[in-house]
Order: sequence, then structure tokens, then C-alpha cells
Amino acid sequence: MLEVSNIDVYRGETQVLWDISLEVAAGERVAILGSNGAGKSSLMGAIAGILPPAGGKINFKGETISGRKAYEVTRFGIALVPEGRRVYKEMSVRENLEMGGYVSRKQRRIDQGMEQVFALFPVLRDRRHQAGGTLSGGEQQMLAIGRALMSRPELLLIDELSLGLAPRITKEIYQAISGLELETTVLLVEQNVEMALSHSQRAYIMESGRITRSGRSETLMADDDIRRAYLGL
Amino acid sequence: MFAIASMNGIVIGVIYALSALGVSLVVGIMNVVNFAHGEFYILAGYFSYLFATALGMNLLAAMTLAVAIVFVFGLLVEYTLIRPTYGDDLYSLILTFILSIVLQNAYLLIFGPYPNKPPGWVRGATDIFGLFMYGNQRLAALVAGTCVIVFVFAMIKLTWFGRIIRATSQDRGMAELNGVNTTRLNMLSFGLGCALAAAAGVILAPVFPVTPTAGVPVALTAFVVVVLGGMGSLRGCIVGGLTLGLVENLGAAYLSTGYKHVFGFIILILVLAIRPSGLFGHKEA
Repeated sequence: MLEVSNIDVYRGETQVLWDISLEVAAGERVAILGSNGAGKSSLMGAIAGILPPAGGKINFKGETISGRKAYEVTRFGIALVPEGRRVYKEMSVRENLEMGGYVSRKQRRIDQGMEQVFALFPVLRDRRHQAGGTLSGGEQQMLAIGRALMSRPELLLIDELSLGLAPRITKEIYQAISGLELETTVLLVEQNVEMALSHSQRAYIMESGRITRSGRSETLMADDDIRRAYLGL
Repeated sequence: MFAIASMNGIVIGVIYALSALGVSLVVGIMNVVNFAHGEFYILAGYFSYLFATALGMNLLAAMTLAVAIVFVFGLLVEYTLIRPTYGDDLYSLILTFILSIVLQNAYLLIFGPYPNKPPGWVRGATDIFGLFMYGNQRLAALVAGTCVIVFVFAMIKLTWFGRIIRATSQDRGMAELNGVNTTRLNMLSFGLGCALAAAAGVILAPVFPVTPTAGVPVALTAFVVVVLGGMGSLRGCIVGGLTLGLVENLGAAYLSTGYKHVFGFIILILVLAIRPSGLFGHKEA
């Protein structure tokens, strides 16, 4: 479904990604792991159209999406939950979700989507008239995920889900995502390696802008090097 | 005296708010300060004068056409002058400043230095609660200005266009991720900002005739209102506009007419001393 082939990405003058290639099949849950500054968020930005790659190609469902603007990539059926959640602080929870449905702009689809999001994260229903900025960190993350789901993406990109959240909340959100319909493909970036590996089928490991390892999540979880380097075991 | 000064303050305040709305919208979305804002105001005044007086058009049609032309002109200005400067706010500042001077001189060449006034909408005056007589044209300006403001707020609150305007001014990158073509939104909102200046222009031109440089104080006041209310805050424009209108007129009535504009700046300094981001502004802005 998603094929990233040999992309190089720059932030200004600085190269941040070197020759990255990865693949995600439809329905898969794939994690990208790595320490701070490894280039995980840049990779997400490149896929979402925020950081156009200088070399290489990104294909989605057979069409080239690299070089397209972020708003066009969204229309292909890719939604990004950005690092730091970035909810619209002065808009209500409802309006935040409506913005997520901007691509379709059909009231019926938006109402349906909102019901699904409220079923997934019931707390958002109680907070629907509250401004996004007044929610707790965990609720904002739920809102950011809900907003991304409103566009009915085929591929959901989640950047640093657990950042700054209490372990209990992180677990709750991961459980909700596991409950998503199987047709939603998920590519997630995480610093919380244990959480990410236990909620994905495959994973890639990044170090200073390059992919250094990849494999099945269970295999990686059992690997001694990984356990030492990332899990502190 | 208090009643009539307050009335004047409210009428002027609504028009201040209206012209500031256009500036604030553009600042909020594009982070561009349009120094030619006052010249768009004047342009609409000239057009409504031209269409109504020289061509004998129906007043409402003349005003609508004037606003529409200025809207399109605004779109063109964004496309040709502002768009190439994205990423460097200083260039757009200088370019719109140059545009304002070019337009002022063009008006001078075409219309001459004399004041031009489109025909009034209504005649006579109305007795306000037995307190004073107030010109009907000014009352009509108050009503029309309020209507335009209500219309703008309804649009911002209720429509998709308004929703993406708010989303984009809060987080441009995120709005783009939600599928908003922000380049096109920039063009539309710049045009809308100019159209709001134009609306203020056609409403006020029958009261205060237009001259080539009459837009300068209009734009300056709009900037003061925007800073007073808080950069990019539309609610701030209304509160800021009314505050400024009332302070100027009450100050002029009780203290001295000569210092009318000084009162406005004193209020501005006081507000900024206590709340540097303006009445409704954000701390980080």
C-alpha cells in the first residue's frame, strides 16, 4: 500500500534522512522506533507531504505522492496525527473533529464519523462543546487521533503517541487503536519501544537518519541487543 | 453632550471595527500587514461615487459593485505582489507600503485633490429619545456597518470558510494536513480583507468625503484598533474599535477637540502597558 523508496530528506540545509526505504501493506500495523533525533518525525513529515524528499520516491496505492503538497496527500487517504497533537486550541472538540472531515465536507459523513470517534473515545462526547485547549494531554491526543480518523483514512500515521502522557492513558489509547477496524493501516512512530512493539506486527528501527534494522515485532522484542539498547533490560 | 458624544463614538467605533476586521483577518491568517488597507477603503469610495454620480446607477448596486471590484483587485494584489513574498513578512510590508503610495498618487492624478462624495442614502435627522437630533445618514451608516459585522461573524462562526479561517489562523500547518489549500485561502482572505475595507469605504464615504490621502488616517486607526484588540483577534477588533471611537469622541467633547487622536493613543499605551498582547491577544503572539 505504502512504498517509500530510497528517499533523502533535508530540513533546510541539513540532511536528516538518508536513503530510507520501507513498505507497509494494507491492514498492517507497523512501528518506527528510534531515539530522539533519529529522524522518525521527519519520515512522517515526508510521507505526509510536509517535508518533500530531495531524492527517492513515495508511492501510495500505486500513485506517486512524493512532491505533492500536504493538503493533496490528505485527499489520497492518508492522515497524520502530528507530534505534540496540535489540536485547534480555541475551537471546540466538535469543531476540531469537523476540521478532520474537511476533505469530504458532507454533513452526513461527518455526523457518522463523529459518532464513531465518540464510540472510540467516549470522553470526547462529554467534552464536545469544550475548547480543545482546555482538554488534558491524554484527551488532546484522543482528539488528535479522532480528528485524523474523521477523514476516513486508509493509512493513519501517528507521531509520538505516548509523548508526555501517563502510562495508563497511553495504554488506554493504544487499546482503542487496536480496536480500530482492520482496513485502517497504521504506521506509528514511538519512543516507548515496548508499547509500540506489542501493538504492531512489524517494526523498523532508525538511527541518525537511517533505517538500521527491521523485522517482526515479536522477534525484535526477543532480541537481546534491542532489549539492552531500548528497553533497558 | 455626553449622549451625542457617545453616539458619535459608537457610530465611528463600528466603522473603525469594520475596517480593522479586514486588517486583523489578513494578519491572523497570512501574518501580512496590509499598509494599503486605507487605499482600498478610498478606492471603494471613489468607485461608489463614480458609479452613482457619473453613471447614475442605483445606490445599492453602485456600492455592491464597488466592493466587488475591490475584492477582485485584492485577489490580484495577493496573487501578483504578496504571494511571491511568502516566508519573508518584511517584503510584503514594504510592497503594500509602496502600493499605498502608488494608489494615492493615482487617485490624485485621476480624481484631483478635491473631496468627492457619493450621494447620501437618506436625508434629514431623527430625534434620539428627545435628547438630540442625529443625522439619518450617520444612523444608516451605523446600521449598515453593524449588519456587515454581524454577517462576517456569522460567516466565521457557521460556515466551512469560517471554520478553515479559524483553523488556519490557529495552526497553519495542521490546517494543511486537514486538507486546506492554504495558498488559495490566503488569496481569498486577502481579497476579503480588502472587501471589508471597501465596505467601510462605501458606508462612510457619504459622511466623510474621499480624498486621495483620506485613507491614511483610516489605515492608521485600523492598525491601532488591531493592536489594541490583540493581533488577529476578530472579537478584539469590535471591542477595540468601539473603545477607540468612544474615547476619542468623549475626550474631544470634554477635554479638547484638538487632541482627539491623542486620547486614542493614550488608551493604546495604557492597554499595552498592562496587556502587551492587546485586549484579546495571545501571550506568545
